[in-house]
Amino acid sequence: MPTRPNGAQPGKPEKPTRPVTPGSPAAKDPAERPAAAGVRGGAHARTGRAAAAAAAAAAGVRGGDHARTGRAAATPATPAAPNPFGSTPHGHDPEAVRARLAAMPRPSADDPRILLDRTSDADLFEPIPPYPTRTEREAEFYSLGDGEMFLNVGPQHPATHGVLRLVLKLSGEQVMDVDPVIGYLHRGVEKICENSDYYHVIDQVDPLEYVSSLFQEWSAVLTFEKLMDVQVPRRAEYIRVLTAELLRVASHTLYMGFLALDLGGITPILYSFIERDEIVEMLAAITGARMLFNYYRIGGVNGDLNHEFMSRLGDWMSRAAKQTEANAALLNENEIFVRRARGVGIMDRHMALKMGVTGGNLRACGIAFDVRRAHPYSVYPELDFNVPTRQEGDSLARYLIRVDEVRESIRIIDQCLHNMPDGPIIAKLPRLLRPRPGRAWGAVEGPRGLMGVYAISDGSDQPFRFRIHDPSFMNLETVPHLLPGNLLADTMAIVSSLDPIMGGIDK
Amino acid sequence: MSFATRTWTRMSIPERLLAIFVPLAVVLAIATVLAIVLLGPPLLDFLGANLPLVRFLVAVTAILLMTVPTAFVIIYMELKVIARMNLRIGPNRVGPWGAAMSLIHGFKVLSKEDFAPTGADLPVFTLAPVVTYMASVMTLLVIPFAPGLFGQDLNIGVLFFFAMGGMSVLGLLMAGWSSFNKYSLLGGLRSAAQIISYEIPLTLSAVGVVILAGTMSMNHIVLSQSGSALDWFIFKQPLAALIFFIAATAEANRTPFDMTEADSELVAGFATEYSGMRFGFFFFAEYVNVFIVSALITTLFFGGWTAPFNWPWPYNLNGLDLSNGTLWIGIAFLVFVLGTDVLALLVRFFGGRSWNMPSAMVLGFIFTLVAVVGVVGLAGFIAFDWIQGLFWFMVKTYAFVFVFVWMRGTLPRVRVDQLMSFAWKWLLPASLLNLFVTAAAVVLLSQ
Repeated sequence: MPTRPNGAQPGKPEKPTRPVTPGSPAAKDPAERPAAAGVRGGAHARTGRAAAAAAAAAAGVRGGDHARTGRAAATPATPAAPNPFGSTPHGHDPEAVRARLAAMPRPSADDPRILLDRTSDADLFEPIPPYPTRTEREAEFYSLGDGEMFLNVGPQHPATHGVLRLVLKLSGEQVMDVDPVIGYLHRGVEKICENSDYYHVIDQVDPLEYVSSLFQEWSAVLTFEKLMDVQVPRRAEYIRVLTAELLRVASHTLYMGFLALDLGGITPILYSFIERDEIVEMLAAITGARMLFNYYRIGGVNGDLNHEFMSRLGDWMSRAAKQTEANAALLNENEIFVRRARGVGIMDRHMALKMGVTGGNLRACGIAFDVRRAHPYSVYPELDFNVPTRQEGDSLARYLIRVDEVRESIRIIDQCLHNMPDGPIIAKLPRLLRPRPGRAWGAVEGPRGLMGVYAISDGSDQPFRFRIHDPSFMNLETVPHLLPGNLLADTMAIVSSLDPIMGGIDK
Repeated sequence: MSFATRTWTRMSIPERLLAIFVPLAVVLAIATVLAIVLLGPPLLDFLGANLPLVRFLVAVTAILLMTVPTAFVIIYMELKVIARMNLRIGPNRVGPWGAAMSLIHGFKVLSKEDFAPTGADLPVFTLAPVVTYMASVMTLLVIPFAPGLFGQDLNIGVLFFFAMGGMSVLGLLMAGWSSFNKYSLLGGLRSAAQIISYEIPLTLSAVGVVILAGTMSMNHIVLSQSGSALDWFIFKQPLAALIFFIAATAEANRTPFDMTEADSELVAGFATEYSGMRFGFFFFAEYVNVFIVSALITTLFFGGWTAPFNWPWPYNLNGLDLSNGTLWIGIAFLVFVLGTDVLALLVRFFGGRSWNMPSAMVLGFIFTLVAVVGVVGLAGFIAFDWIQGLFWFMVKTYAFVFVFVWMRGTLPRVRVDQLMSFAWKWLLPASLLNLFVTAAAVVLLSQ
């Protein structure tokens, strides 16, 4: 078991770094860990994992999963002893549990390991994981050098977007190392999608990228259309492009505001919200929702363009280009902002390719990869737009890429309005979809990069496997490579310029 | 059940309040009269013998009391001005145009839990806001608000100001250290580094003014700028004024130099663990600091309380005889009654049908009040030079307060290393150069 050197204080090598509850895995050697792994693990400790699996197999349940074995043990494979507390929902034999609790070393106030030593309780607030380090990387990260300290940023922090937690190792103000911790929003959406039918998948994936939810819907819908060989009407395709590009503008505008906010400017975010609000209101006119639209359908969209949408769109388009330029000028020409953003968090293009970075963050390092051009879908081949790139790869380049993309999106919206064909908006499909067994991959270019969905059909009305490729996740993976060497203040400039959305990352 | 209990339970709430407060008021009144009769003469004798002490006590009390409304006004100004810059409306619920918002903030802060984190160094933790706040208040003591209206005319006024301003960093450092929080610690250390770095150009740029005025007394610095706007030191020391403004922004921890409480990096900096009135003291101190820094810029470079042009009225009514008090009260009463009635009748008969007499009376009273206050204020402005001085001083000071608020609404925050390199590589050489040129010019011109 690797030791944690930051706990090894001079003269007290045997003292644990933080008060350890007896019976927790950190306390003793690994051999006795399962026996002392707490109440929930106790069932396995008693019967043994193999026995539990065998009992599950005997009960005819697909085994292997933790929760399922637990539930399987509740089946009368092991007849319960007379139970003074009534039925136990988790299948624990109360007698055995009580016996095991009695045998466990009880925490007492005299135990030197749980006394808070007033002189050294600074350790208590170190973000040390409550388990022995599992990998070499973890052991390296959690060992403090001379004059270094940990700073726990998030998951509740004004500048981490959503519930990102960054454990920073600081030397003074300089970031030496960083450990991003994710998963605070994890709900198992992919598994939920595998248990819902094809129509319901759309509103399950909707809240993942909550800033630009149409793109997540689009990737799922595109995959299912490939799976079922559905021909989407041209008007529906144009409506999809129109609404998606509107949402891309909203997302990028919000990005600029939040980047400025994280650098200390409080005004641009409110201008951003004004633009976003207009776009969201016009989308609400056709979808009925302001944030989670649930608008795309397999084979088309859920409603045609209406008068309110068109009048709001015309109103907005008449000054959109000018307004976005004005908002961007507030930052582009601001010396403090440019000096803060230029040259920090430079992303190497080889590293970016290796890490699977896509979207504006990749184009900011000089690689013109855009799914709309590289793997065309929908009616994008008919539309005229550029793929802006920049060579620097720093925070400022990532910001300027977004400014350019907003211009291109406004061009696309203009062309959509000119070329919008007439006709049906959705293909005729049966109520219950049972695609032939097969697999499909569909990807769209979201505001943060390639948003993909991979689905396998087994011929039933639910996807057999459903996997989501989220660009924010790949972009966030580069943070441990970008942050070290920069200052604490740059942490926010870099993380914010990568534009992570925690809903999509945690899924 | 005793008589007292029975009576108490039968009383209504207002009766109970009266039953508590009327005896209390009577006892207090008797005590006050007794205290005046018994302690008054010896106390008055003592105070009469020590007039400077009386003056000092009055000045300190007045300045201590002045800080709270000043902070309220600036907080409200910041809320409202930044809201307008953000295309928002800002506070508009409490009072007219939301003007009581900062008052409500004050009550909120007072009513919150006074919380101290586990592991905090309690004595230091408690003292830190006091040190910060008192350092701010002490600096106000030497600022001349108007002719004859100042706390203390120290002959080392400028020096005293910088000494006290330097003390405020001690409070921030104490807060950062004692909070037992890494964000607080980083904020405290940042503030120490920042304020120590910016004190030097701040002081050096003020030395040019001191050389020109030949004194460190704030009053004499203001007097040496009297005349018109062209006599202000801003025209003799433009570079110093610029350096002073930048360094003062850093000194007051304002955007773009608000490193100590950078909310996107260090959650709230040194104040992260503070709540309730302890936080309130920090909050007040910040806004009082803004006022002080603006007042100092006004005093040193923009002529203090002097008018921007030669005042056309040759007469000064400082010797106006107000001793005939009863007559003036009668005149004021007459003016109010007549004015209210006449205006109410005008509103009633020409204002349309919706005005009934009571609301017309209220409107007439408000109009009269505004008119009387305006006339009296104008008369006072013409007649008394201290009202003139206060007016010009406040106009100039709040203009700079507005600039600080404006910068907060516009600019992002600079980075720590940029901040430090700017101070040491640009501001310090520039202020040294300014000092050298000023001294050389003074020596050459006096030859």
